[in-house]
Amino acid sequence: MQVQPRHPLLLLEGVSKSWPGVKALDDVRIELFAGEIHALIGENGAGKSTLLKVLFGVHEPDTGTLHIEGDLVQLGSPSDAMANGISMVHQELSLVPQLSAVQNIVLGREKSTGGFIDWTAARQDALTALKRLDFAPNPNVPVRRLSVGQQQIVELARALAIDAKIIILDEPTASLSLHESQKLFAILRELRQAGHALVYVSHRLAEVFDLADRATVLRDGKYIGTVVRGPELTEKTLVRMMVGRGLDDVEILPETPPGEPVLEVRDFTRAGAFRDISFEVRRGEIVGMAGMIGAGRTEVARCIVGADRRDTGSIRIRGKEMVIASPADAVKAGIAFLTEDRKHQGLALRMSLAKNATLPVTPTRFGFIDRARQNEMATSSLARASAHMPITRLAGQLSGGNQQKVVLAKWLLTKSDIFIFDEPTRGIDVGAKAEIYALMRKLTEHGAGILMISSEMPELLRMSDRILVMHEGDMAGELTRAEASEERVVSYASGGTSWQS
Amino acid sequence: MAKLNIAQDVGHTGAAMAAPHGILRRLLTEWPQLGIVVALIATVLVFTAIDRAFFSGYNFVNIFLQSSITAILAIAETLVIITAGIDLSIGSALALTAVVAGLLMKAGFGLPLAVLGSLLTGAAAGLLNGALVTLTGITPFVVTLGTMSIFSGLALIASGGQTVYGLPQAFNELLAGSAGPIPIPIIIALIVLVITAAIMSTTKLGEYMVAIGGAKEVARLAGINVTLYTAAAYVIASVLAAVAGLVTIARLGAADPILGQDLLLPAIAAAVMGGADLMGGEGSMLGAVVGALLIATLQAGLTFLNVQAFYQQVAIGVVIILALLFNRLQKGGR
Repeated sequence: MQVQPRHPLLLLEGVSKSWPGVKALDDVRIELFAGEIHALIGENGAGKSTLLKVLFGVHEPDTGTLHIEGDLVQLGSPSDAMANGISMVHQELSLVPQLSAVQNIVLGREKSTGGFIDWTAARQDALTALKRLDFAPNPNVPVRRLSVGQQQIVELARALAIDAKIIILDEPTASLSLHESQKLFAILRELRQAGHALVYVSHRLAEVFDLADRATVLRDGKYIGTVVRGPELTEKTLVRMMVGRGLDDVEILPETPPGEPVLEVRDFTRAGAFRDISFEVRRGEIVGMAGMIGAGRTEVARCIVGADRRDTGSIRIRGKEMVIASPADAVKAGIAFLTEDRKHQGLALRMSLAKNATLPVTPTRFGFIDRARQNEMATSSLARASAHMPITRLAGQLSGGNQQKVVLAKWLLTKSDIFIFDEPTRGIDVGAKAEIYALMRKLTEHGAGILMISSEMPELLRMSDRILVMHEGDMAGELTRAEASEERVVSYASGGTSWQS
Repeated sequence: MAKLNIAQDVGHTGAAMAAPHGILRRLLTEWPQLGIVVALIATVLVFTAIDRAFFSGYNFVNIFLQSSITAILAIAETLVIITAGIDLSIGSALALTAVVAGLLMKAGFGLPLAVLGSLLTGAAAGLLNGALVTLTGITPFVVTLGTMSIFSGLALIASGGQTVYGLPQAFNELLAGSAGPIPIPIIIALIVLVITAAIMSTTKLGEYMVAIGGAKEVARLAGINVTLYTAAAYVIASVLAAVAGLVTIARLGAADPILGQDLLLPAIAAAVMGGADLMGGEGSMLGAVVGALLIATLQAGLTFLNVQAFYQQVAIGVVIILALLFNRLQKGGR
């Protein structure tokens, strides 16, 4: 895909936006051509979201100009943006869950006479767009009954239905399975072919290399540069541009061979979720668990910690057979479960870091909470998790990476030595990811065993000493570090029984 | 964490039970009001089983008549709940608009003017609610708690604390008489049902109220005028309260400034039993009416069986909770 030096479809220049005390954007530019996929990358807080909101008319910039097809335009609202052919697929799905696909696609643009909606026209409009995207499910049921991937297609259909030339996608794959992501990519490539300009924001650099024709990097609200597809578009360049320094690869091979098993799972079965799952995690190793969404990985983890009941199977902790009937038993047995959904299952967002970190082990004196001791425990534990922040801050004010550290700090206080991480770095930016990885390594050096459920291939390959692959509730295979490759993991995860390479 | 287990268990048994009843499950998903309809039929059957005499045309017309005002208020409440709000002031708005109508008629204005005055008072009351909710950002619960007190105070001030007697006979007959065998209040409730159901399914107004209640930010980003459509729900609700007020005073032949105080809770209960989701985005006009019918049937049945009024209150509360529990299980399953 070549980008010819012609009139850009959209040119945004000199854009600055400040809020009291924060300069969110400082002289930023971005330029889009028809028929390109343009990645927008940067760490959390780099100004990506603000830039997207300026592009979509949600925020008006303090300075700067926007040209669309050479004409100077001003966007005062999302409706203005849509009228100018700009549409956005939001990170948090922006569909009304109670309305159907058809209703959502035409929402806000219904053709009507005297207030009465012309449903025939609406349906036709919506179905035309859905058809282009090969949407199979019933378009007349409330969208909350569709899968996340299907809902994303509905969002794209909405963009197509308003005939958007420019489609902004804010982390579209954040909650999609591998398979769904790949389907989405195919659609995006078709849209590029059809001459749309796509702005693609993602934390997953692999996707950027896969899709993007160009990538614009922001850091601290400033424009750092735009890289064109080619030899320059590498992880090294992009990471350096994003964090402003080279990042040492955190890949550290274990120096000591793994020790005795700390967690042994035997013949776990839960009807409708998974069958005959057996594996072990030894001291000092990270066992990766790969598979598509719905393969049953999180379900296995929930059964290990007693959050769900299993039908059959036994569990041995540090060599001893144990009954774990509830998450409380798991905590007592020294198993820490760091859930994927930190906001709802990992942290009390309106409580301080001190209270969050000490939640399972709140110290008391004569029945009253010992605040001094609590603060002391929280401070030391947060420091061990490299979360260097005042303990009085509220958990809800932190970025994803720092929230994950606080969750980890909480579990460190429980003296756990079996850690189950479910998507440990989902939604976390590159710099913080490296810190989380380093912390996980440190845990294993101190003799902990880690089970890491992950859908991110680079993470699995880089961190795991062994990789277990699940497919539709079965253990499809196990790969050692030496055997592991992206192709082999994908082959097992998609139901292949053997791999050839 | 024990909570988690319970939730899982419920889901599990639910699924196990549903397996052989796939059709029933589908029916429930496609038509969530089925539960309340079944509850209503079951209630009628239970009372009939206890006493065959309960099953009579006279009794049923009476139940419909008794439920008509609750039904209109339940529809009003459903409209507001759909936008993720709540209107605690509809009972007081009913009293205020009723007193206004009564005073206008007593002062010698004709029927059309009295009715119009009452409806306009309702619209103004709703506009106040809507403006406060949308412009100040105070939660609907608190806004309407305040206006509930304001409207009732105004009703007392306007009437001097006295019941307004001596409404023209023509008015009473027009709104509380009967067309053939069917009492007019039932017909009015039906008209309200048909119009509001049509608004919900065919107009932008209905569509946007659902969108706003389901996901306000999504609606805003789609270019919908959230302020306008949210406020509209409150205006319509208070106008419907005025309609209910007119029917009430026509039936009573007098306008009492303390009317409507005991109607708020049944209206909310009927709305919620009929499928209105207090989180917004969902609600059914027909469901609200069936909910009102269920409450009236219980009252009529228990009275028929000579159950004391105090026990009736307890029984009705139990049935409301059971109905909501059923809704909850039904939702948990999908």
